[in-house]
Amino acid sequence: MSDTSQADTKEWVLEPETEYRFELDPGTSLAIKLSRGNAEIFGAELAEGKTYLFGFECKAAVFTWQGCTIVMRQPSTEYVSEETPMGSYANLHMAFEQMRVRALSALHGSPVPGNDHGANPEPPRVLVLGPENSGKTTICKILANYAVRVGQSRSPILVNTDPSEGAWIVPGTVSAVVVTSPIATASPVNPLGSAATTGPTVLASNALSPLTYWYGHSEIKKNPLLLDRLIRNLGENVTERHCNDPEERTSGLIVDTSSSFVSGSSSADSRHTLVKACVDAFRINVILVVGHEKLNVEMQRLYGSQLTVVKIPKSGGVVDLDYNYRERVQNYQLHAYMYGQKIDPPPGITSAIVAGEAAADLVLAPSSSVVKFEDISIYRIGEENMAPSSALPIGAIRTLSEMQPILLDPAAAGSGLLNRVLGVLSPFHPDENERYDEEILDLSVTGFLVITNLDVPNKKMTILSPNQGSIIGKTVIIGSFEWRE
Amino acid sequence: MSSMYSQVPAYSHGIYPPTSGYQQPVGPGYSYPQLPSTQPPTPVYHVDPNSFRRDFTTRLAELTINSRPIIQSLSMYAQEYTRWADAVAQCIHTHIRRVPPWMKLPAFYLLDAISKNVFEPYARHFATFVISLFLETYQQVDQPTRSKMEEMLITWRTGAPNGKELFGVITQLSIERGIWGGDSTSPTDVSSQNYLNTISKAQVLSELEFTLGQKDRALQANPWDVTAQKHIEVLHQLRNLVEAGVSQDELRQILNQLRSLTRTAPQVQPSLSSYPTHPTQSTTRSYAHRHGAPATHPTYSYQSEQPKPVDASTLVPAAPSSASSRPLPTTNIATLYNALLKAGVVSEGGASSSDHLHEAKPPVSDTAGYSRDASRSYRKAVLSEKVKLTTADILKKRSSVVDLLYNRLPVQCKQCGLRFTDDPCGKRQMDDHLDMHFRQNSGVGQNVGRGRSRCWFVSPEDWTREGTVDAKGKGRVDGPRSISKKVVDAAQRDAELRAQFVVVPPGDEAKSIYCPICKESMKSEFLEDDEEWVWRNAVRKDDKIYHATCHSEAVTSALSLAARLRNDGCSRSRSRTPEVSALRSTPPRSTAAGPCKSHSASPDMKRAMLKRKVDDEDGSLIAVSEDGTPATKKLALAV
Repeated sequence: MSDTSQADTKEWVLEPETEYRFELDPGTSLAIKLSRGNAEIFGAELAEGKTYLFGFECKAAVFTWQGCTIVMRQPSTEYVSEETPMGSYANLHMAFEQMRVRALSALHGSPVPGNDHGANPEPPRVLVLGPENSGKTTICKILANYAVRVGQSRSPILVNTDPSEGAWIVPGTVSAVVVTSPIATASPVNPLGSAATTGPTVLASNALSPLTYWYGHSEIKKNPLLLDRLIRNLGENVTERHCNDPEERTSGLIVDTSSSFVSGSSSADSRHTLVKACVDAFRINVILVVGHEKLNVEMQRLYGSQLTVVKIPKSGGVVDLDYNYRERVQNYQLHAYMYGQKIDPPPGITSAIVAGEAAADLVLAPSSSVVKFEDISIYRIGEENMAPSSALPIGAIRTLSEMQPILLDPAAAGSGLLNRVLGVLSPFHPDENERYDEEILDLSVTGFLVITNLDVPNKKMTILSPNQGSIIGKTVIIGSFEWRE
Repeated sequence: MSSMYSQVPAYSHGIYPPTSGYQQPVGPGYSYPQLPSTQPPTPVYHVDPNSFRRDFTTRLAELTINSRPIIQSLSMYAQEYTRWADAVAQCIHTHIRRVPPWMKLPAFYLLDAISKNVFEPYARHFATFVISLFLETYQQVDQPTRSKMEEMLITWRTGAPNGKELFGVITQLSIERGIWGGDSTSPTDVSSQNYLNTISKAQVLSELEFTLGQKDRALQANPWDVTAQKHIEVLHQLRNLVEAGVSQDELRQILNQLRSLTRTAPQVQPSLSSYPTHPTQSTTRSYAHRHGAPATHPTYSYQSEQPKPVDASTLVPAAPSSASSRPLPTTNIATLYNALLKAGVVSEGGASSSDHLHEAKPPVSDTAGYSRDASRSYRKAVLSEKVKLTTADILKKRSSVVDLLYNRLPVQCKQCGLRFTDDPCGKRQMDDHLDMHFRQNSGVGQNVGRGRSRCWFVSPEDWTREGTVDAKGKGRVDGPRSISKKVVDAAQRDAELRAQFVVVPPGDEAKSIYCPICKESMKSEFLEDDEEWVWRNAVRKDDKIYHATCHSEAVTSALSLAARLRNDGCSRSRSRTPEVSALRSTPPRSTAAGPCKSHSASPDMKRAMLKRKVDDEDGSLIAVSEDGTPATKKLALAV
């Protein structure tokens, strides 16, 4: 770590409970070093003296509880804010910790102090709701980070039900991971950590083992029935995992959602079906509504009797993200799934870490291979272009269900398979008798492929695969995502 | 303190008769081929080394998975062409270096098979590069593969035809030091003392896993082998103990005994019955001498591991037959564990007598106590603040979170910023955390440019069970949960249960009674302090005497299931009573599920039972619910 080029560096002294916010432009990177004091980024503490790199249009904030000095290597859009909702988020964390220690005490059969209501202590199972650009994902990250930092071997489950978010994988998915180490922030590519690679990592949150279902689209309205089903499938598995490991269960879970769960023009009841799916599937007992009075009232009315609904403040640092930005981020994520992410340090920086890891360790090598058309069965769920059920003429019934798997022929003209992202399904049930027609809808995915070339005359296609494992004989599902290198 | 233990033959002394036909116990799907001498020659005849090399490389390329037939045929091929052993060695060397990490293990199995089957000339050819190759590969592969490699490495200790190190003692030591550490000052000093220098926890755990694997397979081959069952039980406890953290002395003792256990095993084969049991005795001598308790000895060093149940004699319960060949009574199993606890007291307390079983506090209790204290004080700190989950209350300003996240955790990792308490519990977590960084760092540099890639995701079946596999060393190698409190607690609970006893009514000393749960006989022993005969690990309930461990297990599993079984109107809801639990027991043929084996120390079995229950339960619940969501449909169909 060289401190030579003094001219480029800028030092910020942050007062206690303030945060330094920055936004990066495309193609730029930023290096930040904590030189004194304590600081954290979205709940993950920075190590003193380490240089942290940020890139891919990252928008983030360095917050300090007790004051600190940070050194910037390449300042960009930046400012310091004294008004943060961190105090409220910390209170939430305290309340959740109280629920966790009570649940743990109950599990160990010891008396639960302060539990005078006689209620059965349950760990926090939190659903975070809010409108677009309210910082839902960041709140999930802060709450998970605080939970794993208390030194009590907490391992909360983090669930992403927003298919427009990549979380730790790629967009188009709903998935769950167990968090055991703080989640570092470096770019919007892996907002909630990164799925495991073959190499070792410093932070467990960069080697997450997700349980993943493939929805295949970024927009909820494309096939809400399918999303509902996948969320319930995910919930079944989370519940089973918690049954297997009662100790882990006491760490609770945190569910991130899409703003589309609670917005939209249709009637309140129908647009809240996905909220209901989450509440049921994950046995939610706390709903956090981020900065939206009307939504808070609605949720109080719907769920106030059976669980706790809390309105929490929205951070002033949340940046309004436009559609193009989200699309670029989705592209970054698909690229990073295959190739990892590479952030070039700003000039003058020789040694820096990205999301807690040595920068070179995040580079991945996918594998490209040519397979015959018949080596892989490709399905699509429902019609390619399907109007929502509500848009059909009154009395009309679909000829093709949106849940019907359709086998695709790569040789067919206009198959639209080129550059498509494919979700590779887990194997079908080994016992023939246990199989059923719609099993394909209930299988999780083991990874993603991209068709990079179609050779129709020779009935062959080139497939980009994340690793060298065989893909012959796999069943895959296409979605609406395309990706080109 | 433990000088006596150095009398336990260290393996490099090779005082045992050579073992022939050593079967390396490897994971399922592969076992070493015994090359028949009447092997038909390979149809291809090579006249020059170059074409041979080409051909061998091509064949080698097929070895992408752990396939026994491929390894077998390649191994035979190598046997055929010993004159070009150097080419074979080179090909394998290049192959292992070139292929991606997940293909390396099968190639190592090939290397292992060739050098064991065709020791001369292959072992010396491989010996020239095996150190660097092994260590390099070890850094690149994932944790399960590492465990497999460690297992293989341990078999190399006695892999040569004369029972010595397969690739020579120096090679063996270099590799072992490379992966387990240990700071031998004189690498050329090949005496057994080398093994006794510094012993790392990882090494002991790995050897424990290896021995456990061996016993598990023995048990599979012979489910009636009570001795093996008990060995496994003891080994599980040992593993808990080691994971909880024990002193160097104890590690050394455990290691020595493990080695004698593993080494003895292959010799006690039916075909070798003429061998005297002198290895057992030599181990016994030092051990018995140490504790002056004849009842405590030979059980741990004895094992009737039969490679295959080929004749009728192996189909009958093995315990009586092995007992008959045993020179000494085997009335008290679990003595290895108890003896170690005692030894722990001796080594900590100095001169206290090992006979005082009541004083034999398990060494784990300290750490368990610390972690209990720590979590209690944390709980107090968290609950001292009044926070309500309401919109108004969470807006109030509080400073307690700074205390919880910073002030209570003054020790910080310089590399990643994670914090720990400065009490003994936090120190241990910090040590483990730094170990994790060290392992990771030592692997980094070498990985640059070699290609990491994204892994496939796990299946739901694996994912839902992930959190419970940490005992096996798979998964959760890092993260604070690797030093699981559960393990410590379980070990301690188990020790407490085992210390319970019931006084034998006068006149009943000779009567043999059986635990109603596991149907095994209760062992009576004489307590010198109280001058009474007692049944150890026993508890009296409703005028019946149970094994304390069996009873506790039955009660807890019944309780934890009680809630889930409440809707279940059938007879299973009465499974609170141990008798009913006993009825649920599967016949001993299925070794995995017998309730008598479901000690707190064997999470696998417990989990298997629980899982089955959960499945049943889900099914019955679904049958009555009208939910009809897809996933439940799937479950309903699966039941």
